[in-house]
Amino acid sequence: MENRPLEYDYTVAKMFMFMAIVLGIVGMTIGVVLALELAFPGVNTILGSGVAEFTNFSRLRPLHTDAVAYGFTLSGIWATWYYVGQRVLKVSLKESSFLMAVAKLHFWLYVLVVAAVVVSLFAGITTSKEYAEFEWPIDIAVVVVWVLWGVSIFGLIGIRREKALYISVWYYIATFLGVAMLYLFNNMEVPTYFVSGGIGAWYHSVSMYAGTNDALVQWWFGHNAVAFVFTVPIIAMIYYFLPKESGQAVYSYKLSLLAFWGLMFVYLWAGGHHLLYSTVPDWMQTMGSIFSVILILPSWGSAINMLLTMKGEWQQVANSPLIKFMVLASTFYMFSTLEGPIQAIKSVNAIAHFTDWIVGHVHDGVLGWVAFMVIAALYHMAPRVFKREIYSKSLMNAQFWIQTLGVVLYFSSMWIAGITQGMMWRAHDEFGNLAYSFIDTVTVLHPYYTIRAVGGLLYLVGMFMWAYNMYKTATAGRAVEEAELKNASPMGA
Amino acid sequence: MFHWLEKRPFLFAVGVFVTIAFAGLIEILPDFAKASRPVIGTKPYSVLELAGRHVYIKNSCNACHSQLIRPFKAETDRYGHYSLSGEYAYDRPFLWGSKRTGPDLMRVGNYRTTDWHEHHMKNPASVVPGSIMPGYPWMFTNAADIDTAYAEMLTVKNVFNVPYNKPIPTKDGGTVTVKLPDTLDGAKAEALKEAKAVAADMKSKEVKDMVARGEIPEIVALIAYLNSLK
Amino acid sequence: MNKLYLWGGIFSVALVGATYAAIGMTKGGLNGDIVNILAVLGAIAIALITIWVVVKYVRQMQTDTATGELAEENWDGIGEYKNDLPIGWAVMFMALNIWGFWYFIVGYPVNAFSQIGQYNDEVAEKNAKFQAVYADIKGERLVEMGESVFIANCTVCHGINADGMDGKAANLNQRIEKKTVKYVINHGSNNHLLGMEMPMPDRNGLFNANTGALITDAEIDTVASYVANGFQGAGADIFAGTCAGCHGADGRGIAGVAPNLREFTPELIANVLAHSKKGAIGKMPAIDVLNKKQTEAVAAYIISLSK
Ligand code: HEC
Ligand code: HEC
Ligand code: HEC
Ligand code: HEM
Ligand code: HEM
Ligand SMILES: [Ca+2]
Ligand SMILES: [Ca+2]
Ligand SMILES: [Cu+2]
Repeated sequence: MENRPLEYDYTVAKMFMFMAIVLGIVGMTIGVVLALELAFPGVNTILGSGVAEFTNFSRLRPLHTDAVAYGFTLSGIWATWYYVGQRVLKVSLKESSFLMAVAKLHFWLYVLVVAAVVVSLFAGITTSKEYAEFEWPIDIAVVVVWVLWGVSIFGLIGIRREKALYISVWYYIATFLGVAMLYLFNNMEVPTYFVSGGIGAWYHSVSMYAGTNDALVQWWFGHNAVAFVFTVPIIAMIYYFLPKESGQAVYSYKLSLLAFWGLMFVYLWAGGHHLLYSTVPDWMQTMGSIFSVILILPSWGSAINMLLTMKGEWQQVANSPLIKFMVLASTFYMFSTLEGPIQAIKSVNAIAHFTDWIVGHVHDGVLGWVAFMVIAALYHMAPRVFKREIYSKSLMNAQFWIQTLGVVLYFSSMWIAGITQGMMWRAHDEFGNLAYSFIDTVTVLHPYYTIRAVGGLLYLVGMFMWAYNMYKTATAGRAVEEAELKNASPMGA
Repeated sequence: MFHWLEKRPFLFAVGVFVTIAFAGLIEILPDFAKASRPVIGTKPYSVLELAGRHVYIKNSCNACHSQLIRPFKAETDRYGHYSLSGEYAYDRPFLWGSKRTGPDLMRVGNYRTTDWHEHHMKNPASVVPGSIMPGYPWMFTNAADIDTAYAEMLTVKNVFNVPYNKPIPTKDGGTVTVKLPDTLDGAKAEALKEAKAVAADMKSKEVKDMVARGEIPEIVALIAYLNSLK
Repeated sequence: MNKLYLWGGIFSVALVGATYAAIGMTKGGLNGDIVNILAVLGAIAIALITIWVVVKYVRQMQTDTATGELAEENWDGIGEYKNDLPIGWAVMFMALNIWGFWYFIVGYPVNAFSQIGQYNDEVAEKNAKFQAVYADIKGERLVEMGESVFIANCTVCHGINADGMDGKAANLNQRIEKKTVKYVINHGSNNHLLGMEMPMPDRNGLFNANTGALITDAEIDTVASYVANGFQGAGADIFAGTCAGCHGADGRGIAGVAPNLREFTPELIANVLAHSKKGAIGKMPAIDVLNKKQTEAVAAYIISLSK
């Protein structure tokens, strides 16, 4: 038994891979629609004014953020968990029918939640809290899904053969614990139907917290939802997939260790940077700013560790589009974790807050780092789960360059738009009057909104190329032997 | 090598949890200890205003509009006095927003009026050429959900002691009482009374007809809410 | 030079250059505003530092080789070096931790920062600066200043040409529209136009001294055209008989009794801004974000429009 290679079971990984691709395309298509609506407001009624209630910017926006964060990204995280988890713990899901059942239930319940979310957000059923829009019935389902994942993590760990947990597993565990804690506290809400004795909508609730307190809890959550969905599990991915694909050993264990514990400790304090110059106490704001600046280092720690893992391997970077995705992802990770802290400085935030510069920061993180990593991870997994080589390397290469151009257009246009708008809002003219009416500060953005829409469209085109390449890999790629799958993924021309 | 902790998954998980929960305690606990108290003049929402707030949330107006005036001269020149914590004492959830695609609305009730909102919500670009805000014409026919607003009023009164039916001090030294009717029918009658006052300043015939029939379109509730933002 | 540095350089220059161009397009550019300056420096720092650091590591990919002692463990074929921390990183991390600790414990309370204090300083400074300029703003400059106030505060209702956008607000290119005059005669007016409670009666209180009877529909129509047309055409007799008692024989109003109907006056406009106005067209809100000079200026601008 010990000598025979383990037969891993990728059934659930495959199901989540499928969801990641579908929800990625759905979420980003909505993103492109949103971008077009801001550039050309006529798009709000593109399907006719009869259904504009459901296609206008404000109804669609939460659908975009939730589809990409909790659809695309979470599916990607779980696809990789059900792949990486088995391999680095050296244990197969086949060995436990209980864990297999839990994993399947995890998937199907998740699909149900996704459906419920789509219906409820289209209907305008939302609590308005960013990234926590769901009403309490969905919250409860989310908690069940999350617990199932927890059972899967700790169950697999319980029967593992590899005694020491690999770095990626640290980060998966942290994701699980972090989100659990944040989600529970931020979603404390009182269902009005029961308290009022059966009046009104049964799903409606009212927040446990009011005003400034509500804002504090929300952004303690919001900032760390970013941390524990867009950062921590993505680091889990890169620590596995980059060394594995390149065949290189991780540069420094010490650096991994310090970066991990540093990140865990520092991240949670930084939420105050979403509330600068608001009505929360000054000391909390200052705390948010200070910890944001300190946060640069644990963030950069992981990125540097990965870049140094590729030391001397320029050949691989130049030749493999799969490795290019990951190296550029670390770069964008560094970019957004320097940009964020600088935007967290009070004086800079005075300009940046409420503007498109923040939206730019968001997307150099999510497009350049999160989505690139998910794409790369699933490309690496495809030959292993389908036992076929990746259908087309040149298509992957083209996808890489198109999407890179897309990200660059997105963040640079929003960067300029945000700084311009922030400065126009503040400007006084020679008479001491406001120099601009609000609408002046909107119409100047039109060219940048158009460029952003083009960038987004390019990125979306890349997503379709990815889907096609994955589909062809699964169905038409050349069959490969186990021996070809050690490191660099086999690719067809 | 030094994999001591990483060979003990339970301890490891506890370690991670303690590390991340620590900051949470410091940031969140003071919250439970100290809720902000309303400033003079801050009063709970009436039935119609609350129904309008639900319309605002349903349509995610907060995706483009903030309700937080920061203490900068340029902002107070544009929107009025900077925000005070106590002014949000009855906001569940808070609606500060994080993006100002459109202007701040914290005090929009001070400098816009019912008839202006009526034109604007139907077709923003007709009053503000170049506006990228979508129009919301269906709000002129969709009925507002008064039941849920009333259920929420009962809930916040029972659970959070929101001072309905109690005199609340106003800025001019007097007091004002926001009514919480005893029954759902009472609440509907109250909402209709408020709606008639708003509709009187509106021009749309369909809205006036609906209100005359005893129905309340979403737009009327929304405008009541916007007018209450001061 | 290495191709990589070249591309890194081009990219940062492009980003920083575009930022610079965007600033140049706004009125006054950086405006000597410290917040603007810091934000732009921050933006430049983001571009330069990231590019510089990443280029440094990419150079190591190109020229260096991986070395170090491998750890015993191995996960799914992934090894781990026992390399030390990169020294620059370790030093920076320590330094920032110490700085953060110092700042929060010592630096911050000692400076006793308060954002409201900062606001008060900002307002005092700007007010002093502009108060000094205000004294010299008169005549044409005052009208110019008024236009600037109007654009930022009034165009959303009155339109960029102050024409009221098809009856959504008053057309300020003329003193008054016929529709408004008719409405006021029919319903009276109680808008504190004189700055105090001084309503004008509705048609049931308006006697035409010439006929000795209440004003009639036909007369209302005629006098309304007369007033709206700048006191020209038919209707002078009705005005003299019904309105002149309060509004003066020439329609230029009587202080403390009734407002000027021939032309806008600074007082009338200031009163509208202070007390709001509800009439035939709709409701105009009170505008309380303007100071005295700005009110005077916007009045001068509006008066200049109907001249
Ligand atoms: C796509 C972004 C967007 C959405 C969504 C949006 N708005 Fe706006 N809003 C704007 C912009 C831009 C302006 C400024 C131009 C204008 O006045 O139309 C504006 C202006 C306003 C104003 C005028 C404020 C002022 O000071 O002039 C009000 C009131 C308003 N919106 C209310 C709403 C409400 C209520 C909703 C939701 C039902 C909403 N908006 C949804 C973008 C948006
Ligand atoms: C008893 C005195 C009195 C008489 C008679 C009177 N007015 Fe007035 N009028 C006033 C007062 C006082 C106001 C200001 C009311 C307010 O504060 O809103 C006023 C306001 C007006 C306004 C509104 C101006 C604006 O800018 O909106 C118009 C128009 C007007 N009068 C026209 C007339 C005409 C035409 C007549 C004759 C048919 C007339 N008035 C007779 C006292 C009078
Ligand atoms: C929210 C909309 C709105 C805004 C903002 C607004 N107005 Fe008005 N304004 C109106 C409306 C509506 C009327 C017509 C009222 C009526 O029916 O007589 C009006 C009327 C007026 C009048 C005519 C008074 C008269 O006697 O006929 C003046 C003067 C005026 N506005 C000046 C201003 C100035 C100056 C500003 C900006 C500082 C401003 N308004 C901003 C809506 C607005
Ligand atoms: C060192 C790490 C980071 C810091 C200190 C940081 C800081 C900030 C700051 C200051 C804001 C703006 C708050 C405001 O003014 O509205 C922000 C917004 C945001 N950041 Fe980051 N950031 C970091 C990394 C990242 C990364 C890596 C991502 C994603 C991959 C990310 C995603 C976001 C998102 C989604 C928002 C928008 C939140 C909202 O809806 O308002 N951040 N961040
Ligand atoms: C084709 C690619 C995409 C396009 C065109 C796009 C477009 C947009 C647009 C137009 C907005 C609204 C900005 C505003 O309100 O002004 C937005 C917001 C957002 N998007 Fe995307 N998006 C894309 C991909 C993604 C992906 C892949 C993610 C995450 C994995 C993501 C996460 C977010 C988040 C978190 C916000 C909210 C930002 C905030 O509130 O500050 N987007 N996006
Ligand atoms: Ca919830
Ligand atoms: Ca946001
Ligand atoms: Cu944050």
